Amino acid sequence: MKSKSNLERVLEAGHFAVTGELGPPASADAEVIRKKARILKGHVDAFNITDGQTAVVRMASWAAAVMGKQEGMDPIVQMTCRDRNRIALQMDVLGIAALGINNMLCLTGDHQKFGNHPAARGVYDLDSIQLLKMVRDMRDEKKFQCGDDIAVEPRLFIGAAENPFADPFEFRVPRLAKKVEAGADFIQTQIIYNVDKFAEWMKGVRDRGLHERVKILAGVAPIKSMGAARYMKTRVPGMDVPDSVLERLQGAPTKEQVSRQGINLCVDIIKQVREIEGVAGIHLMAIEWEEVVPEIVEAAGLLPRPVLPE
Amino acid sequence: METHLRDYTKFRPKPAEEIGEVFRRANRMFVLSCGKCYKVFEQEDEGQYEQLLETLGDDASKVAGHKRVDFLCNEFLSGKKISGLDLGDSDSIGVMSCGLGVQFVAGLFEQTPVYALSDSVAHGLNYPSEVGYHGISLEDDSCAACSQCYLNLTGGICPITNCAKGLLNGPCGGATAGKCEVNSDVDCAWVRIHDRLTKRGELLSFGYVHTRDYSRPSWKTQNNLSLQNRESRGEGFYGGFHPLEKKEVTADRRIEQFAEPQTAVIFLCQHIGKRARPIVEPGEMVKVGQKIGEADGFVSAAIHSSISGKMIAVEDRPYPAAPRKELAVVIENDGKAEMHPSVQPRTGYEALPKEALLEIIKESGIVGLGGAMFPTHVKFSPPKPVDTLLVNGCECEPYLNTDNRLMIEHTEEILAGIGIVQRILSVDRVLMGVEENKPEAIAALSRFSDKYPSVQVVSLKTKYPQGAERSLIKRLLDRDVPPPPKGLPFDVGVMVSNVGTLFAIYQAVAKGVPMFQRVITVSGEGLSRPGNYLVKIGTPIRDIMRHCLAKDVEGLLEEYDVKMGGAIMGIPQANLDSAVIKGTTGLTVLRRHPVGVSEERDCIKCGRCVEVCPMHLYPLFYGLYGKQGDLGKALEHRVEECVECGCCEYICASKIALLSFIRQEKAYARSADKG
Amino acid sequence: MLAVQIKAKEEILPLISSKRLFIFECLGCRDVHYPVEEAQELIGSLDEEIVGKATLDYLCHRDYSREYIKAYAPEIDEAQVILVFSCGVGAQVLSSLLEDRKVYTGCDTLYLSGFQGLTAKEYNCGQCGECYLNYTGGLCPVALCSKNLLNGPCGGSQNGKCEVDPDMPCVWQQIYDRLARLGQLETMERLGAPKRWNASPLQ
Repeated sequence: MKSKSNLERVLEAGHFAVTGELGPPASADAEVIRKKARILKGHVDAFNITDGQTAVVRMASWAAAVMGKQEGMDPIVQMTCRDRNRIALQMDVLGIAALGINNMLCLTGDHQKFGNHPAARGVYDLDSIQLLKMVRDMRDEKKFQCGDDIAVEPRLFIGAAENPFADPFEFRVPRLAKKVEAGADFIQTQIIYNVDKFAEWMKGVRDRGLHERVKILAGVAPIKSMGAARYMKTRVPGMDVPDSVLERLQGAPTKEQVSRQGINLCVDIIKQVREIEGVAGIHLMAIEWEEVVPEIVEAAGLLPRPVLPE
Repeated sequence: METHLRDYTKFRPKPAEEIGEVFRRANRMFVLSCGKCYKVFEQEDEGQYEQLLETLGDDASKVAGHKRVDFLCNEFLSGKKISGLDLGDSDSIGVMSCGLGVQFVAGLFEQTPVYALSDSVAHGLNYPSEVGYHGISLEDDSCAACSQCYLNLTGGICPITNCAKGLLNGPCGGATAGKCEVNSDVDCAWVRIHDRLTKRGELLSFGYVHTRDYSRPSWKTQNNLSLQNRESRGEGFYGGFHPLEKKEVTADRRIEQFAEPQTAVIFLCQHIGKRARPIVEPGEMVKVGQKIGEADGFVSAAIHSSISGKMIAVEDRPYPAAPRKELAVVIENDGKAEMHPSVQPRTGYEALPKEALLEIIKESGIVGLGGAMFPTHVKFSPPKPVDTLLVNGCECEPYLNTDNRLMIEHTEEILAGIGIVQRILSVDRVLMGVEENKPEAIAALSRFSDKYPSVQVVSLKTKYPQGAERSLIKRLLDRDVPPPPKGLPFDVGVMVSNVGTLFAIYQAVAKGVPMFQRVITVSGEGLSRPGNYLVKIGTPIRDIMRHCLAKDVEGLLEEYDVKMGGAIMGIPQANLDSAVIKGTTGLTVLRRHPVGVSEERDCIKCGRCVEVCPMHLYPLFYGLYGKQGDLGKALEHRVEECVECGCCEYICASKIALLSFIRQEKAYARSADKG
Repeated sequence: MLAVQIKAKEEILPLISSKRLFIFECLGCRDVHYPVEEAQELIGSLDEEIVGKATLDYLCHRDYSREYIKAYAPEIDEAQVILVFSCGVGAQVLSSLLEDRKVYTGCDTLYLSGFQGLTAKEYNCGQCGECYLNYTGGLCPVALCSKNLLNGPCGGSQNGKCEVDPDMPCVWQQIYDRLARLGQLETMERLGAPKRWNASPLQ
């Protein structure tokens, strides 16, 4: 075991893992985190806390993670390269490890132009792949990026994101390989609505044997409204929302029905991806709709979650 | 030069191990090296290739060949050079240049790997926080191009390029004895700013906290300006530039008859070729339009009197187109304005055969009125067949409106003149290029398009020197005339003629009026009566200045330049003692600049002269060898192909007297030919 | 190459309000880009008295600026404020030659790709001191990627365009296509180490 992560234990034991996600508040209100964490408890093996998603200022991921830990859960701290240079990133890695947090996800970060501070300077001292390697070397080589020794190394379970739907499509499997080489222990994909395309990607992954070296968690998310569906289709970079999805939702007569369809669709997709060889679990993103996580996980037949000793 | 000049070379060789790694990926490599930019130009070759071979050691055997390309990132010229190279058996290309050169070459080759053998470097104090740009100078000041200039807050000292942390709200706590904590050789920028603001009696504004907007400039803004720039630069033909046109001073002024001179000074040689022989004696009375000089040989032209009166003398007078004296016939006006009987309208001229028309043109003393003054009857007897006549209505020089007003006020005469020339040359197709800064002229010509269907008027975006033959032919027909001194338009089946010449041809053939007057534009600065004047050939320049100036004529040349022609290629007059000749397109008066061109300054290899040369030459070499006194070397760089348009000298950042060097080198080449 | 935009009038007015002005205008880089009409419009719209105007090229050359200051000395003396229309280099040079006078710039400066000549390039060079071009088929990720990734593309690349602007090409898509054409796709899997941002100009 590389860390004390519950997620790592679950995956090592061969269970189909479930991770969740929550976005911290754009305020100093700790209660918001605690409430959301309590909803997810018992329904996920670990949960992500986003880090300045879409470049909007929210509470720092590591701080919210501390509260998650206090609720007895296994948080995954997301860290982007947009806001911090290698000095700050390594400092934060030492910090979260010292706070007993066991998982982190290494990301490049959405460009600052998308958020509420477009005038800010994007740091991008490193990219996500360099970050992966840096954290892996801190843990396994016990060295900082500059080569200095680390007395007590951060023992983190390291994850990365991958988007099977981004361009160029032919490069998406090799890019995963690169992240695996750099040190990714687990992968969470972008939200899947186009299951066929995801299956195509997974085939490429299997052909290279990557599924045996890294644990792949398929990203899924329930759609709350037509507006949300359209937004994801047209305004979120790298998202593939087939027309059939919109048609399915459009058929529903009321708003509540649309949400119901959205939940049902999510459960269907979970069942489908579970059948694909090489998929080690799901990453369920019900952002600002955390209350539906329990029913989705149950309907998908993923309860109870395993409880494994440390 | 007083100021210290830095070396801003933008690249250095990669470390030896990296070069070794690159060569391991190749079997045979062709090497391109850039001649470097932004350093004082002292020698043609920088020795980079030899340095590379030394670094390579045994790997040098993998080098298939080498070519030095000056200003490698000049896409047009370098692209031409590279596509003409024989790359031998090479399977890859190695480039020694900054990242721009490497990227350019990589973009040229789809199937062949292109490798960088060099690393690009920045020279800013503040790197890596900011790349500071030094502009078109080799001095210390640089600009971060942040697009939100802070200089008004800091007394004119840029905090981004001069402060290692790019601070905008005063110094950090790290300065020691006024020096920056990052580099103790460097003054703390904020100490300097504080001192400057104190000197100016301005307090540092601590009230407002400044933050920088890193989203500016947006990619869109930069991209749009870049697109605009590329479109403008690439318009029509390679090279050239866009001077301020200044046409509005006289564009709307109708052609006005200028008063006859009291004394006319009519030069016997107002053309390329042999000087005319005078055929009148002192004391003789002459009439307007009377032939007073006979063409001497085939390449020569007749001269006519522009006034009636008594012929006083044949004597040397200062020539307006060159710094020398030329023989001129001096005539004193008798005030009678009597026309010579030979000046008669000709009916049925449309039926005249080509030979007769050429004879009339010859007898009328018509030469190219665009300024070249080549005898028109000779020009229209080309040794090769011509399929297209191009009419030059560009008038690309600033200030001039001669051709413009002719096209507006004498539209049909010009078109009739074109018809006459079509008959002489047996040409069906006529393209007339008119710059779009002449909308009234274009409109006037369009009104006659039904009546003269073989003449196609083409509106052209303005760019100097579009009116030069080669540029115009390239622009309108996309044909390349072989370079001077041998190449001429008929080599590609084209004849080019100026609007003024065509008007004169009509006047001569239809009205029997020989060449004794022409329209000139008097414009520029310090004039009370700028305008477009119909002046008699031989009118003293002093007369014209007296009429048009707002000030006293004597002492004018102490502050102002008077140029025969336009602002760019006009010939500066050493005195006001000369007179109007057939090639005088205008008189442009310009206040002299505090800084003029010089033969002493150092070239800084900014590459702009190369960007603007319409003949695709590298003028910086003419400057280098001119300064070094090695005139013969300029021939190796094709100086004889230069058409002396003046673009290079105009754009030169170091204000080098390039035209002077070029003329010296051409003269040297001519004498070397003979000798 | 540097190009300028005229500052908003509201930004300039407080600095020159009711003062006698002398204006310097630099046209040296006009053929790159200089908004002549905009500058003329702004100058023409000012109520302030303009005691003189010097139009020149290459204000960034100290020697030229010195000569112009000498030539226009009486008018410059008469002025209370000197207003400069030029890039930041020229503005700094002039300001340093008129240290105890109030010199203000009327322009913002921006950068168009390319160092020499007059024509902007479609690519750019980051002058970083560690050319990465040998692993990218000859396209610079430092200068052309919005996130200067060395291991791109990121997840925002779509249809060959960058997430920052739908018209902006994604250089990593271009790099991928280049390497594919050259038969060097394995290079895409090379792990680019973190950049030494201080590599230039020292070794």
